[in-house]
Amino acid sequence: MRETYGVLLPEMKLDNLPGKLIVIEGTDGVGRSTQIRLLKPWLEQGGHAVVDTGMTRSKLASGGIKQAKQGHTLGRVTLNLFYATDFADRLENDIIPALRAGFVVLTDRYIYSLIARAVVRGIDPSWIRTVYNFALIPDAVFYLRIGVDDLLPRVVFSTGFDYWESGMDLHPSEDMYESFRKYQPALLAEFDHLAEEYRFEVIDASRDVPAVFEDLRAGITRVLADKEQTPPVSVPTQAAREGLDLQESSAAGSNGAGS
Amino acid sequence: MKRYGEHRFPGKLFVVEGIDGSGKSTQLSLLHQWLRAEGYGTVFSEWNSSPLVRDTTRRGKKKKMLTPATFCLIHATDFADRMEHNIIPLLKAGAVVLCDRYIYTAFARDVVRGMDPTWVRELYAFAVKPTAAFYFRTPLEVAMNRLINGRNGFKFYEAGMDLELSGDPVESFELFQGRILEEYEKMIPEFDLTVVDATRPIEEQQAQMRQQVKAKLAQAKRLRVAP
Repeated sequence: MRETYGVLLPEMKLDNLPGKLIVIEGTDGVGRSTQIRLLKPWLEQGGHAVVDTGMTRSKLASGGIKQAKQGHTLGRVTLNLFYATDFADRLENDIIPALRAGFVVLTDRYIYSLIARAVVRGIDPSWIRTVYNFALIPDAVFYLRIGVDDLLPRVVFSTGFDYWESGMDLHPSEDMYESFRKYQPALLAEFDHLAEEYRFEVIDASRDVPAVFEDLRAGITRVLADKEQTPPVSVPTQAAREGLDLQESSAAGSNGAGS
Repeated sequence: MKRYGEHRFPGKLFVVEGIDGSGKSTQLSLLHQWLRAEGYGTVFSEWNSSPLVRDTTRRGKKKKMLTPATFCLIHATDFADRMEHNIIPLLKAGAVVLCDRYIYTAFARDVVRGMDPTWVRELYAFAVKPTAAFYFRTPLEVAMNRLINGRNGFKFYEAGMDLELSGDPVESFELFQGRILEEYEKMIPEFDLTVVDATRPIEEQQAQMRQQVKAKLAQAKRLRVAP
């Protein structure tokens, strides 16, 4: 049976969620969306129905958050709670129904990015973890890890510096480069803490797209193998599989002896 | 990030709590007039949260998109906005700040909607602890009698219609408020709420309030303004 990180929302039923919840985490510019674009058709070709979701995509709060980021008018606690509202809306309306229907849910970031950003901005680390206590524990978190020196050229030659991803609200300086240089290492250090705490599967994202894709495929294949072997009753998968193998081989053995 | 009870400001924060029809708003406005006449820099904190949060809340309610979780979180967002942009700066400036409803309203409402009580309290840990919180205790029948005449109907969430206690808004409201009252009773010792018997004459309730507020202000740095 699935679990959350500590608290259950009203009417949140955790039984019968046969889908898989797969999280791709990593800082901005690391290539998460590129990988998700590759993973989706690959999964579909393998016969899996896929739903992809990501931060600030809720019906309820996405519009407000986008506007808030334009005007930079919200306080830190307020903005974090706005994100939590967006997350709860997506969890209840998108993620859980898709898992119930047996989909593979590929999510571009999850609570970890939200926690890392909040903590770097001086929000109480234990408070923000409690706020996201209602999140479902995913089947796997793949963390695309990169150092700031490898990250810089990617950002410069793709989207350019972003106000928030450069931490301009934290390290206001003449240019976004200086700010980025201070902000991203702090954020990456926070991600490293989270990687340990939440047992991320770390993928070296300083390599090229195909190499990262190959690692992700291998990891996801392993997660999906669990799905196909999971019996309807909750028996530990490994034990169930071994039990099955034993029965088959002993049956084969007795047949052999009889002939 | 300072937590509940950890803030130290020169200003003072007084809040009133109670169900609709308890008379708390009337009492707060009488207190406001008196404080002003006494020469205190007093501000009535309005729910003027930023348009972004307000619009999201309104849209969610209008379209009935809110679950207990998102209802709780969007109101916490709204409250945080008010806390960060309105209440905290005023308290820093030394004002006497008055709030009609505070975090205890959210605790009562969200817990009745099935949210985890401990979790909801932690969610609001960023809130400033009031100098005093007055709870206007009213039997349900008294509040209902006051409301039935003064209102034409209840809104969907206000009546707790999302809880599906009854198809009739008035009946649903009454059942919902009954449960809210139970939550308030639990919070009296937990948060040291000052109980005001809201069935007593208005003048007596106000006298009690003024006496208690005066005692708290005596210890305060007085920010007097010219009347």
